[in-house]
Amino acid sequence: MSATAISDRVAVVGVGETDYRADYQRSRRAELGAPVGEPDRASSAEDLDEAPSGFAAEAFTRALADAGLEKGDIDGLAVCAGRAEEMGFERTAEILGLTVRWGAETGLPDHIVQVCVDGLAAGRCSTVAIVYGNGSRGRGAKAYGGVSEPRSGYMNQWYYHVWGFSSPGAQYAFTYQEYLDRLGCGEEELGAVAVAFRKNARLNPNAVMQDPMTIEQYLAARYTFRPLRLYDCCMVNDGGACLILQRADIATSTNHRPVLVGGVGRYSPYARHTQMGFRRHDAAIGCVEEASAECLGMAGVTPDDIDLVQCYDGFSVQLPMFLEGLGVCEPWEGLSFIQQGRIERDGVLPCNTGGGLLSESYMHGMNLHIEAVRQLRHEAGERQIAGAETAAYCHHGHWGAISMLYRRG
Amino acid sequence: MAIERPPRVLGGHHTEFWDRCTDAGFSLQRCGGCEEVLWPPSSRCDRCLGAELEWEEVSGAASLVTHCEFEREYYPQCPPPWLVILVRLAEGPLFVSNPQGIGRTGLVPGLPLKVVMLDCEDVHGRFRLPVFGPVSGAHPELPSKIVNKCCNFR
Repeated sequence: MSATAISDRVAVVGVGETDYRADYQRSRRAELGAPVGEPDRASSAEDLDEAPSGFAAEAFTRALADAGLEKGDIDGLAVCAGRAEEMGFERTAEILGLTVRWGAETGLPDHIVQVCVDGLAAGRCSTVAIVYGNGSRGRGAKAYGGVSEPRSGYMNQWYYHVWGFSSPGAQYAFTYQEYLDRLGCGEEELGAVAVAFRKNARLNPNAVMQDPMTIEQYLAARYTFRPLRLYDCCMVNDGGACLILQRADIATSTNHRPVLVGGVGRYSPYARHTQMGFRRHDAAIGCVEEASAECLGMAGVTPDDIDLVQCYDGFSVQLPMFLEGLGVCEPWEGLSFIQQGRIERDGVLPCNTGGGLLSESYMHGMNLHIEAVRQLRHEAGERQIAGAETAAYCHHGHWGAISMLYRRG
Repeated sequence: MAIERPPRVLGGHHTEFWDRCTDAGFSLQRCGGCEEVLWPPSSRCDRCLGAELEWEEVSGAASLVTHCEFEREYYPQCPPPWLVILVRLAEGPLFVSNPQGIGRTGLVPGLPLKVVMLDCEDVHGRFRLPVFGPVSGAHPELPSKIVNKCCNFR
């Protein structure tokens, strides 16, 4: 059986999230009363802070209401967390009071969404809740990385402390420096990402970052991991998000137009990944090409058919890289493609229409899936892209690339 | 005097890497089956799955791939601005390290480099750390192609 057989067999029928903006403002107020320069704190298994599960439970409650479903309709569960050890599957399922016939256990949201699509398409369950919670900010983290970074089954994040190297941001700075070295320019060009996403966030009442941002303000901000600047890096904020997926053949009685999963694709070359070769431009683009070709092939669409893009923007440079790998422009031309408003709401390919991880909320991509769904339902309010029928999602990271294609049911 | 650094990752073959760097010089594992040079240390060759891995001192020759500069402090032993480089070792692997005696603007892709073993100390004790300095008399190779596509586009 080819993967095309499961295209459009699964629908997103419910979405929910916490009050990102209000919660962030609460965190900031607490921080202003706290000592300055507080170090990143490691999570600990002994620590019974269940704030992440609490955020997830709120998002789950809202997603059920959005879908018009009851808790008892959920027979499959997946649990994702900002840090895996913060929110275990069993305890989360207990807090939500669920009885399930199928579980994807825990993992990164984007891996988990694809596993859930398979579980539903195989008929192992009818309705899956993917719940996500993140309590990193409340624990004192303002950035990811450092010696407290826990070991979680991969090494690249924590193997190089002795050389003073840490953080995914520094890894993307490696890639961005390749652009600068090759093109002889690009520092101002990359600013188009942060500026465009901030404009989108200003039309999203729940976005954390809503102050206007000009390219001058972008360039005036400090470097974080030079050549990346402050506004090239996502925030760290607390919250929860939930997606409810259902077999498409029974997804007719919910509150909203269902949004179908047209395609999925993944390409993960793990050999030598502690060497950081995956951060080299050509290798990263290659992963996106492979995952996107699989995804678009499964859905039977071409890049020209895509109405809008949601790209995992932990760091702004991920967007030009994705656009190159997706095939909307040639390799190394991503920085030129994003100029002249092409990625803005009224441009040829609107990207991260809710503000993205840079300006809306850092929910490890969950909020990007939710924004895709709202756009394809035509429920995105002021920021709605008129007539949106298809949305591409991509995340490329240390494990390769994942692509998804959503379409209006 | 030893330079203070954040902690090494130790345990099993990772400890052996540091012991060999400290006692013998910059050393990596080579697969007895397919000759592949491995990094990081492992129990298996990731190319042929061979388990006959032999430690050997490598040449220390490398060329610069890319770099970044931390402007945010993650470790008190590594105050910003803190430079980190990604280099390609002559034996094949990519290796994350620090430049020694080269400033940010001198970090040109293709720059020939040579390993320097720094006397360091972390919470586990004294050790020698492989970092990379310039090859005397060498001139950096310029990038093969400067296409300048993005500027032309605007």
